[in-house]
Amino acid sequence: MSLISRRNLLVATLLASAAFSPLAFAQDYDADATIRIGSLYEPQNLDNTAGAGQGINEAFNGNVYEALFQLTDAGTVEPKLSADYKVSEDGLTYTFTLKDGVTFHSGEPLTAADVKYSIERVTAETSKSSRKKSLSTITSIETPDDKTVVITLSARSISLPYNLSYVWIVNDKAADITATEDGTGPYKLEEWRRGSALSLARFDGYWGDKPTNGEVVYQYFTDATALNNALLTNAVDVITSVQSPDSLAQFTGNSAYTVTEGASTTKEILAYNDRVAPFDNVKVRKALARAVDKAKLLNSIWGDYGTLIGSFVPPTDPWYVDLTGVDAYNPDSAKELLTEAGYPDGFEFTIDTPDYDPHPLVAQFLQSEFAKVGVKANINIITANEWYTKVYQEKNFQATLQEHVNHRDIVFYGNPDFYWGYNNPEVVKLIAGAESAGSVDEQTAKLTEANKIIAEDAASNWLYLYPQIVVSASNVTGYPVNGLNSQFFAYGIQKAK
Amino acid sequence: MSGPYQWARIVSGPQNRKTRPILAYTLRRLVILLFSLLVAAVVLFILLRLLPGDPANALLGVGATEAQIASARAQVGSDQPLYVQFISFISNLARFDLGTSFVSRASVVEEIGNRLSVTLPLTILGFVAALIIAVPLGIIAAVRSTKWYGAAISVISQLGIAIPVFWVGILLVSLFAINLRLLPSGGFPLKGWANLGEASTAMILPVLTISLVMSASMLRYVRAATLEVLGSDYLRTARALGSSFPEALIRHGLRNGAVPVISILGIELASTFLGAVVIERVFSLPGLGSMLLLAIQQRDYPNVQGVLFISTLLVLLIGFAADLTQRIVDPRLRDRGAGTP
Amino acid sequence: MTAIDQITTPARRRSWQSVTLWAGIILVSLHVIVGLLTLVWTPYDPSAMAGGRLEAPSWLHWVGTDRLGRDFLTQIMIGSRIALTVGIGAVAIGAAIGVTLGLLAAFASKFLDDALAAALDILIAFPTLLIAMLVVAASETATLGSAILALGIALSAIVARLTRILAKRVLLMDYITAARTSGTSWLGIVFSHVLPNIWPTLSVSFALQFGLAAIAEASLSYLGLGAPPPNASWGRLLQEAQGTVYTAPIGAIAPGIALVSLVIGINLLADGLRDSIDPTRRAR
Repeated sequence: MSLISRRNLLVATLLASAAFSPLAFAQDYDADATIRIGSLYEPQNLDNTAGAGQGINEAFNGNVYEALFQLTDAGTVEPKLSADYKVSEDGLTYTFTLKDGVTFHSGEPLTAADVKYSIERVTAETSKSSRKKSLSTITSIETPDDKTVVITLSARSISLPYNLSYVWIVNDKAADITATEDGTGPYKLEEWRRGSALSLARFDGYWGDKPTNGEVVYQYFTDATALNNALLTNAVDVITSVQSPDSLAQFTGNSAYTVTEGASTTKEILAYNDRVAPFDNVKVRKALARAVDKAKLLNSIWGDYGTLIGSFVPPTDPWYVDLTGVDAYNPDSAKELLTEAGYPDGFEFTIDTPDYDPHPLVAQFLQSEFAKVGVKANINIITANEWYTKVYQEKNFQATLQEHVNHRDIVFYGNPDFYWGYNNPEVVKLIAGAESAGSVDEQTAKLTEANKIIAEDAASNWLYLYPQIVVSASNVTGYPVNGLNSQFFAYGIQKAK
Repeated sequence: MSGPYQWARIVSGPQNRKTRPILAYTLRRLVILLFSLLVAAVVLFILLRLLPGDPANALLGVGATEAQIASARAQVGSDQPLYVQFISFISNLARFDLGTSFVSRASVVEEIGNRLSVTLPLTILGFVAALIIAVPLGIIAAVRSTKWYGAAISVISQLGIAIPVFWVGILLVSLFAINLRLLPSGGFPLKGWANLGEASTAMILPVLTISLVMSASMLRYVRAATLEVLGSDYLRTARALGSSFPEALIRHGLRNGAVPVISILGIELASTFLGAVVIERVFSLPGLGSMLLLAIQQRDYPNVQGVLFISTLLVLLIGFAADLTQRIVDPRLRDRGAGTP
Repeated sequence: MTAIDQITTPARRRSWQSVTLWAGIILVSLHVIVGLLTLVWTPYDPSAMAGGRLEAPSWLHWVGTDRLGRDFLTQIMIGSRIALTVGIGAVAIGAAIGVTLGLLAAFASKFLDDALAAALDILIAFPTLLIAMLVVAASETATLGSAILALGIALSAIVARLTRILAKRVLLMDYITAARTSGTSWLGIVFSHVLPNIWPTLSVSFALQFGLAAIAEASLSYLGLGAPPPNASWGRLLQEAQGTVYTAPIGAIAPGIALVSLVIGINLLADGLRDSIDPTRRAR
């Protein structure tokens, strides 16, 4: 299974780099084409600091809004609106010089004040941005002139450029961006019909390379079947993520479609509340990890796709180590561990299960696996909104299922206040140390170490890594295949004439 | 002949059989309408307070402080005593001020307007299509109840009322969209009805689904009403006076038979409108139903409240219109006083 | 113009109607037998992942397996039990609330009666499903119980309206006036005169509402507001199978057929019952 993924991954990366390279030959695509993108993730509103959800990143990151840096689909961080930057000796002062000739969609030029305003929007008290915490080391933002921004930190932060790639640069004169926008990207918002679709039109005043299409329409669907049907009936050109292997059968082996498997960062996990008994006991957590036949689970949900992981880190991260052997499937040893932990007759607990696919099915699988080692799991179905309130905010749960989509999110285990409440001082120290590391090698070494410890601690039950599959009509090329952090850059997409 | 609504309606018969000029009746009915609206508002208010969680949660970020929680509560008014909340709730409704969504921050009234541009055509087209199927078939099923095809229609309608609407939708999508590639499987064009061609084709399958399921129960009402007319004295009299059977049926039968059917149709229309929630889900249509479903999941109170209030208003208006129509059509109610049946 | 004289039946159709009645009885009994059987025996343990992923029908698994490799036939059989539980539970709750409210309205003062009638008119216009959706949303967690309660509450408006109308008609009868003048308490009137008179019609309506509840439960489950897993409700099976409708179509068809057969059965039964209690027919 994982072999297949790797091979495809290689192909995918090649495809992606080909798509973004300058065109070597004459245009054989329609430069004014409308690209219709099918997606399950409609944004709630248009402001990524106002709880708009992952859909807004998909539609707007890099397309409508740009940041000082951009996380590319290949996973590298490249300068975007920042022309150049310098870091002081102590690593606490960053001086950014902005690109020239950049204008917002409203026609206003980009200035340092806009950058300061934009960063403060994310770190503001009322901001609902999930990135807020990673920017908390910023102590001041100075704007000595229109093209220069000086950021001072309280501690070294090796991933500052990476973190700044989430900070949309918004015109500081834009009043309300929950229903409109004013960014610097290659597209501007044309129209948004809630519950249905959102369209972006090419922005003629764009500072960089012109998009290879004229218009992009994100068409939203409420379930995966409807989404696949839309591609099958030619109602959309590409779907951003395939959510089940069963629909793939219709696309693979059909020359009218291209199926691409990219590098995934989406992890399905059973997170325990590590603060409460019995999950504060490492033996219990390890026992439950060993009780689950994850290969069978992955096969049930994804057929021949997807990858097994032994911790929270996908194989594409530099700090990945194969840890699937740490708590490999072994029900007998699970029972022994439970006895050692003082639960020879098992115990009962509740899994708060989000109501959308695949969580209810995964929960039933786990229920049956845990029953085999004498542990009774109850399933409590909740909406995404309730999950946010009950589990994420109030931390009022025993265990929960969740898919974690973000790239490089192992750092969550370094935050004892995070919803799962994993608190290992050594890991906290390693992860903080990785952030203030002086070099990438040092960062990688520390995170690798942390990764090994959380796996030994069975901090959560990491079930599997989703495959990242994009399917398109075969006349459409140049779309991102990895979709890191839900981004979906549309400007390189070409539709054959 | 089944379905609980119709059972109740037929038993009750047309309400209020005292002779009254149509204007006075309209006024009295209008008072009832307003009263009903008030009752609905009270029920809505209570219902929304029963939903778990504080609406202020929707405004808060991760790890909000006590002060932020307090200010969010002040902003949405959930810190006020209940009676104050109730008064402001009613006065806002009266001014059609439905507030702004907690999640999208968009005006609820505007959003409902957009959504209605999908749900209303869907409902009305589905209803009309169902009528077109149900009325002739229902009459045939009654008039030819002893023939094999009369019985066949009745049996098929039994099937129709037993099938869940979403299942019909799923099956129609796999047939017409996936296998035959004739129609889109779902979705609605971005430009809405400005893109008339795409919007219309997007409506075909949903409308077909609604009409198939609805016509089954409608057919049974029409059949029952026709059977009753067939056994009635005036039809016999008309025929005795020399009218041909089809003529007698059309002249006298349809009009008399229509009376109980109209009030049932009013209820059916209302049910279709509200039942569109499932259809919209199956076909990914941006209508009022999908707005409500999402709002319930997100605990977006202003949206839940707005959709329910507007739906109630529309349902009551449909009932009002049905009662008036019935009053106008029914010769006994209009022209002369009618005793108790 | 009443329900009763509307359902006059030509004698020559009686044999046909006894066929539908028997068809109804057979279908419903089948589901009842299967439902009861699952209490003591099922082909497989419902949660046992006994087969492979989405196996096609075979001698081992007559209707194939689901994504987790669980036997579909077992799930569908348990679905019968759940549908019956939901139907009976919802109708019982609907009847308890509805009959009480309806009788109260029938006996109440003109003003209270008008108010209740208007309120019921609104409620009845809302489909069972919508009311149930709101009740489910209002309960903290969705369980089989909350779905039953929701459907029961939704049905109660229909029952109340019917009860009120039927009871008012009985109250107009001469012997009730006689009983009233002779000093019988109103509770006495309810139990000795009203209920026995309206019961036959009510019971037919209950049967119809049972079918309504079964369909509404399936729709609730489809919208993700129904009984949570591992309850093998047909609606949930249909919802789970929707994603695999092209690779394993049987999973999306079999639970639907089970549901339709139960609802048709109960409707045929109700039609047959109505004919057999029809006084105009008995009088002939």
